[in-house]
Amino acid sequence: MLRAFSTAATGMTAQQMMVDVIANNLANVNTNGFKRSQIDFQDLLYVEMRESGTEVASGVTTPSGLEIGSGVRAVSTIKVFTLGELQSTGRSLDVAITGDGFLQVTLPNGELRYTRDGALQRNADGEMVNNMGYPIEPAITIPTDAVSVDIGKDGSVNVTDTSGTVSVVGTIQLVRFPNSSGLSSEGDNLLAETEASGTPMTGTAGENGFGTIQSGFLEKSNVQMVTELVNLITAQRAYEINSRAIKAGDDMLRTASSIVR
Amino acid sequence: MSVITEQVGTSIEALMDEFNIITHNLANVSTVGFKRRCNAFSRVLEGQESSEEYSPGSIDLNSAFDFSQGGVVETGRELDFALFGRGFFVIETAAGPLYTRNGTFRTNQNGQIVDGDGRTVSGEAGPITIPANVSLSQLSMSSNGSIKVGDTEIGRFRIVDFGENETNLVPVGASCFLMPEEGVVPVAAEDVVVKQGYQESSNVRIVDELVDMIMVCRLYEANMKFITAQKETSNSIMGVAMG
Repeated sequence: MLRAFSTAATGMTAQQMMVDVIANNLANVNTNGFKRSQIDFQDLLYVEMRESGTEVASGVTTPSGLEIGSGVRAVSTIKVFTLGELQSTGRSLDVAITGDGFLQVTLPNGELRYTRDGALQRNADGEMVNNMGYPIEPAITIPTDAVSVDIGKDGSVNVTDTSGTVSVVGTIQLVRFPNSSGLSSEGDNLLAETEASGTPMTGTAGENGFGTIQSGFLEKSNVQMVTELVNLITAQRAYEINSRAIKAGDDMLRTASSIVR
Repeated sequence: MSVITEQVGTSIEALMDEFNIITHNLANVSTVGFKRRCNAFSRVLEGQESSEEYSPGSIDLNSAFDFSQGGVVETGRELDFALFGRGFFVIETAAGPLYTRNGTFRTNQNGQIVDGDGRTVSGEAGPITIPANVSLSQLSMSSNGSIKVGDTEIGRFRIVDFGENETNLVPVGASCFLMPEEGVVPVAAEDVVVKQGYQESSNVRIVDELVDMIMVCRLYEANMKFITAQKETSNSIMGVAMG
């Protein structure tokens, strides 16, 4: 009987985790470049009470055995890297990556982080930086006398100076991973390389499977409100039903204990 | 103890097992590719039918996997694959192949397609590797399980079917099954369609499980009532005997 309690409890824990994941997705419905997470469940080990094929009477074997499972566990959360909606902003330093690839930024300690949030800005020195002020890698400096900045589909940054001369000051490079889902989320829209993600491959936008760079657009979150809400309802109901199973088990135990009264 | 009381005892045990199985099904209502277990009570007759003395035998619980198709949910994720129809994906492990209906795959650091625990998914020609210069969104899938980039096939999932031997599969947890019997060789699945961007949800139907749960609880209660009645009867008999 106690097994049913712990089985239902694993169910409740799993559903609670699902609610946590959904809540984070929903909270980031307006976060630029956010990728929704999806939780993956697996059933737990089974206890074999009786093997199938056991002889129950002379010459008669059971066609199926008796295996009792012990519940469920959450095995991982997977980031779903489908493209978010592109929103036109008109800002020339806003870039969206249509397809595969991440922008690279350098942290103050020299480490690299990866992001899909392309709301780039210029800092006091003219360097192109992300929202947090981390410079993109390779560093691109926009001259102070630049009148306008255009970013091409291949990531080339063209500036027009006061005399009307156009020059290329650098190219935004993109990075891909063999397993993007293996990247770890660091907050601030940044992702970090891990053992599981594999080593980064650098390249130019539009080549070798990289997406193209779309200037004047921002990639919004790929969270679909309706889908998340439906999942939320499902998780809540499943949680409720698992708690009902615990209640039912409790009732059964009470019946049993009433015999000895 | 009377024969009948003994029989009630075995039936209570079987009901408790059934209750545990229902709870396990309910806990896995959101597990991708999960197959519910269905229960069947059978009465094991001891003694011959022709014999004059009636022996009630015991109540026995059998449970088997219900391999029916689960619902299919769209996720849009490139590496989510759902199977429609009979068949299993093959997962390679050091201890031999495992079979699963959970097609929530990933790539590992080398670009190979792996399952949630990082074990490689078997292709017709070894593990399937996604070339480094290909992005996941360029992958397309034909219904027979072959993965293509444009018109070039980069691999094809091995999808197998056990036919009527399906009932012999043993669950090993983590949504995987094992074929314990030597010599049972699966054949390539024919009546199966692979869909990319979908997951096969658990085939547990909440309402059915709840109805079963209520039934189990009531039967359990009834059996317990019988034991209480039996206890009272033996109490009064003892009362008469002891004066």
